Amino acid sequence: MKNIAKLKPNRRNFIKAGMATSAALLSSTSLAQETILEPSRGPGRTIMEMGYYGDRSEYATEARLKGNRGTGLVGGSLTPLQNMQGMITPSGLHFEVHHSGVPDIDPSEHKLIVHGLVGDEKVFTMEDLMRFPAKSHFHFLECAGNGMGEWMSPRGQNVQQTHGLTSCSQWTGVPLKIILNELGVRGDAKWILAEGDDGARMARSIPMWKAMDDAILAYAQNGEFLRPEQGFPLRLLVPGFEGNMNVKWLHRIEVSDTPWWTHHEVTEYADPRPDDKIRAFSFIMEGRSVITSPSAGMKLNGPGFYEISGLAWSGAGTVKQVQISTDKGDSWTDAQLEAPVLPKCHTRFRMPWTWNGQETTIMSRSTDDTGYTQPTYSEMYKLQGPIGMMHNNAIQNWHIAQDGEITNVRS
Amino acid sequence: MFARNTKIVITLAAVAASISLSAIYKATAAEKYGFGRSLGEAEIARYDSDIHTNGKGLPSGSGNVELGRETFELQCALCHGENLEGVPQMGARSMHEGRRDIEKLPYASSLFDFIRRSMPLTDPGSLSSEETYGLVAYLLNETGVTDNPNLTLDAKSLADIKMPNRSNFIIDPASRFTAEDLEDK
Ligand code: HEC
Repeated sequence: MKNIAKLKPNRRNFIKAGMATSAALLSSTSLAQETILEPSRGPGRTIMEMGYYGDRSEYATEARLKGNRGTGLVGGSLTPLQNMQGMITPSGLHFEVHHSGVPDIDPSEHKLIVHGLVGDEKVFTMEDLMRFPAKSHFHFLECAGNGMGEWMSPRGQNVQQTHGLTSCSQWTGVPLKIILNELGVRGDAKWILAEGDDGARMARSIPMWKAMDDAILAYAQNGEFLRPEQGFPLRLLVPGFEGNMNVKWLHRIEVSDTPWWTHHEVTEYADPRPDDKIRAFSFIMEGRSVITSPSAGMKLNGPGFYEISGLAWSGAGTVKQVQISTDKGDSWTDAQLEAPVLPKCHTRFRMPWTWNGQETTIMSRSTDDTGYTQPTYSEMYKLQGPIGMMHNNAIQNWHIAQDGEITNVRS
Repeated sequence: MFARNTKIVITLAAVAASISLSAIYKATAAEKYGFGRSLGEAEIARYDSDIHTNGKGLPSGSGNVELGRETFELQCALCHGENLEGVPQMGARSMHEGRRDIEKLPYASSLFDFIRRSMPLTDPGSLSSEETYGLVAYLLNETGVTDNPNLTLDAKSLADIKMPNRSNFIIDPASRFTAEDLEDK
């Protein structure tokens, strides 16, 4: 730090000292005589006027975007990724998808039943569950349908529409293996059914190896209890697995030797292939990345410096590398990964860039620690058929026109 | 209920200490936390509504195509359309759309289970077992899986149905299961 006291308060030094020290210089007596201070804003809102639960500024207006089919009972909303900073999604902006609306559950009445191929079949209250040792982990959650509208052609107007079904939080709860070990799992048990207490009793089959690995019975998100739309008071978290399997309002777990092939897992969440086969039980959300700034819907304000920034994540592990191309995919440069870089978690990447004012296309591609690199659309089309729009993790291209306008393009 | 008082925190600490000490030795019953209440069969049965692919969990009773047709027209067509074409304003897509084709399901149990747990959308859980069997019979017949206007389904006959598309399902190896692992037993 500069020794401010040594600077003589003359005009030359004032200019030299620049912005960083100008505040300190203003307080020196000789300058104060020459300068009329900006009037103070005066007192603000009293503590009595402040809420017991903090609200954001009235000027901060970023919001989820709702998708509504028919009755609105089956529907969801997307996270405004273009406005998000860092790696965490505020709970109130986390994406949501519901199959029978959002139930209103009194936690003092909520119960989790665990039965089937276990030694003891038991019911737990929320109080019971919260007495078990807990764990907190940062994990992304992504709907398998994130970007399904993009499958045939670029349609989204901005990154919220193209990629807004992924969000990232710190989740706290009891590791599921603690509960299963407590009850004693029989040797032939290979699957569990996780069932929600919403109207649809949403149910998915989950492999026992996942239940015994890093699955969490989560009751908290970002330091507070889950939001209703995130499953209050209890949800399953199966890190890296498609969003639908992270069953919300969890009220029952059945342990079995075979999966159930529930309607959701064999229809919309399965992947039709070009050869008419249907790939089922494709649980893992594979490595993906997207540039969130600059991105479609934004406009560059003339040539010059811009930071390229975005998010990368992988349901199979940890993001190892993100490469960025600013010349339509001809050459690629490593972006900087911002710590913390955690497994099955959003990772913020950044790269300085000077735009020369010429029309171009920018894109990012990620590689995770299993060696998996994010595919292009033409690579994906070989794997999934014309209606195989789930699990779309292809590279996203943003076109920058000469006037700085940014749009969603395929190549 | 969510506030953890000091007493609970102290008990928790004591439990945790005893666990880490005893973990050195072989697992004993005393190691358990012991939270939660044991469940009786009758209590489990009230919640255990899911149907396994081999038919385990299917209720008693039966229903035929005719009952299914009546029920569908009264309670389902509003959203799904008279010909299963789907009524977009009601949020229901065609059952012939591709992703949601009934005839492409791997098991009839998937259909029974879904209708019983989730439909009708605005009043799930309201269908009787007879109506549900009837609806499955009606929908299988309408989509050409079966061709029998007199079809009556019950627990046994529903479990016996072989869905024509079953062999087209392949298993993602990342699930760590193979097709043989998931063969019906
Ligand atoms: C208020 C509208 C509504 C009514 C009434 C209704 N459904 Fe549905 N149904 C839906 C919607 C919406 C979905 C999609 C659910 C989802 O994606 O989670 C659906 C899904 C289904 C599916 C899964 C296949 C598909 O097309 O998505 C079946 C089977 C089904 N309904 C059967 C029935 C039956 C049988 C009835 C009558 C007992 C019924 N539904 C009544 C709206 C309705």
